[in-house]
Amino acid sequence: MELNTLQQDALKELLNIGFGRAAASLSELTGHRVVLEVPEVSIHPITALRPALARLDQEDVASVHQIFSGPVAGDALLILNHSAAGMLKQLLTDEAPLPLDVDASAREVLTEVGNILLNACLGSFGNLLRVQVSFSVPQLNLDTLHGVIESLTVNREGMRYALIVHAGFRLRDAEVRGMLVIVLSVASLDKLIRAVEAWEQAEGGR
Amino acid sequence: MSASALLHAAMLRWLNELSSQGVFTTDVHLTVASWNAWLERATGVAAADVVGRPLLEAFPELAGRRLDRYYRAALNGEASVLSHGFHSHLIRVATPSGHMLQTARVAPLLEGDAIIGTITAIDDVSERVHSETQLRGRIAEAEHARGAAEDALRVKDEFLATLSHELRTPLNAVLGWTRILLGQNVDQEMMTRALHVIDRNAAAQARLIDDMLDMARIVTGKLRLEFAPVDLMAATLAAIDVVAPTAQAKNITIHKMLGNRPLLINADGDRIQQIVWNVLSNAVKFTPQGGRIDLRLGETAEHAQLMITDTGKGISAEFLPHVFERFRQANSSVSRTEGGLGLGLALVQQLVALHGGDIAVSSAGPGHGATFTVTFPLAAADDTQLTLAIGAPSRTLSGRRVMVVDDEEDWCDALAQMLKNHGAEVQVAHTADQALAMISSGDWPHALIADIGLPGTDGFELVRRVRELESGDGRIPAIAVTAYSGKANIRRALEAGFDQYRVKPISSEDVVAAVAGELTARDPREPGKAAGAISQGEL
Repeated sequence: MELNTLQQDALKELLNIGFGRAAASLSELTGHRVVLEVPEVSIHPITALRPALARLDQEDVASVHQIFSGPVAGDALLILNHSAAGMLKQLLTDEAPLPLDVDASAREVLTEVGNILLNACLGSFGNLLRVQVSFSVPQLNLDTLHGVIESLTVNREGMRYALIVHAGFRLRDAEVRGMLVIVLSVASLDKLIRAVEAWEQAEGGR
Repeated sequence: MSASALLHAAMLRWLNELSSQGVFTTDVHLTVASWNAWLERATGVAAADVVGRPLLEAFPELAGRRLDRYYRAALNGEASVLSHGFHSHLIRVATPSGHMLQTARVAPLLEGDAIIGTITAIDDVSERVHSETQLRGRIAEAEHARGAAEDALRVKDEFLATLSHELRTPLNAVLGWTRILLGQNVDQEMMTRALHVIDRNAAAQARLIDDMLDMARIVTGKLRLEFAPVDLMAATLAAIDVVAPTAQAKNITIHKMLGNRPLLINADGDRIQQIVWNVLSNAVKFTPQGGRIDLRLGETAEHAQLMITDTGKGISAEFLPHVFERFRQANSSVSRTEGGLGLGLALVQQLVALHGGDIAVSSAGPGHGATFTVTFPLAAADDTQLTLAIGAPSRTLSGRRVMVVDDEEDWCDALAQMLKNHGAEVQVAHTADQALAMISSGDWPHALIADIGLPGTDGFELVRRVRELESGDGRIPAIAVTAYSGKANIRRALEAGFDQYRVKPISSEDVVAAVAGELTARDPREPGKAAGAISQGEL
């Protein structure tokens, strides 16, 4: 399954609404102007995630993980490499950095940042599909990229796909890059793409 | 009730009564449905007083801080984390040190796909945040210490570079002129000029080494001061005499406002002169052609104060706090125009402190000159005896025969010449046996200056034999002048029969002064105490 240009543009536009909402929340929380870059979207089979996440550069990553359920169900993650996680936390809170594994406060702040971004994006999907999506409380894990991918692939049945979104946070003259990974079943993804296409046509026709 | 229903009820009871988190629930209208015991204890609000009331009415602060949106989001299916980093707390709980820091989670409660309410879990993270802050502080301290250590290392490296440069410069001049003198066709004029250059440069190098040795003694706590009443005015005048030629050469005017009576402080005279000389020569060094230096001497009820103000290059605000640090110089680059090791002022500060005094510096910035203010405690009123520790003793050695025993011929020649210049008749020996042979032949000197490290019989043995050969009342002054330092050597030398012990480098003038002092002390026409002072021997 691959996205055609029209579908890609439509998904980008939809995600952009979520990104805008998340950026506004983060700006309000931190008192700094936070801009989330226009997302870049691609679709990959879950078995081929590794090369798609190569841009994270480092093996040690912090990931904020939320499970969502309802008519559309799956896993949503924000993945940052350790340097990006540390930098983002410092930019947002002005506190001197500690190693993430001893800095529970930093992990909480990053959890909230991931939470805001994931809620905003998944919320946009829910609104579009006019369905009620429910979320689990977010969890932050410090793991290797390999471990994260493993946790998404083991003991899961059915062909699953990942929507990979490049997310760039810009604030205080600095930029931090991360990856949003939304894992869906074939059926959920199909439903989502069709709804997005319909929405784009309706929007375009207006 | 089924087993699972029993367990379910027990779990709810546990959450309600024993949980270490605050947990409360609301229905879809955000009316509080449950409020656990932890929340009752923490907030002081009883479940009976809050259950059944709208959450936002019971806690208006939630809407005031726009936290109600997390509840609206929960009713829309969203679960949220509210970190203390962004929100500080959800429900305000006052503590003795301020208020409790909380991280909260707000989530929808579901029945099937339908949302039937919200649940909130609150963690008290105050202690954890406190230990994180401490950890952060400790890391910052460690980083700071590392930075300071690196800085100190860098400053030392620069010092070593400066040191080799500063030691080499006078040496080059000495070597250069020595080679000229060793060559052909040297007339009297050139000879005089060469010797002046050599003398000046050797003295400069000896001073550098003295400074370093002094600093080393201070750092190791081995500097010994001989306290006696000293006139600060006399010390200042003596220091002015020393720098006057340099100041004159740069056309610098020195204005003296020293008052008209002695200003007595309890101090080590030599060190006081060193302090004043250092600050004053520093002023001369950094004041350009045609500048001006003002010296003011004053006193308060308990302190004597010397202010030295120059119209020199001034000191930047950044460097001002580092002026008295060891090895520091405002310009440590190789292209700097002023020489020196950067030890002088550090040494001055340490010496002033050892006298219970204080030194301060002020400057309006580069180009605006600087003022150094040195303060000493005044001597107590009963220290009436005025001992001027400055000024040389009589150097008249005419009619005196002095024996010099040293295997370093150059040093021997220089010393002999100097003694002759002061009117002495000089006997030179390069070994102890030579010296003993001369004495045994009945040629008794009035004073003996001997090295310790001599080939064959050493200086200790020499003076022991001399003492044996002496008749009961004819003890001659004997001064050891040697490169050997250390307490053990000094003690051994004094035990063997030396009266004084001097460590090289020492100027031949000092040796002459020491001999003159010893002879004067023994002369029945000029009665005085017999000196047995140890000088420079502490290292």
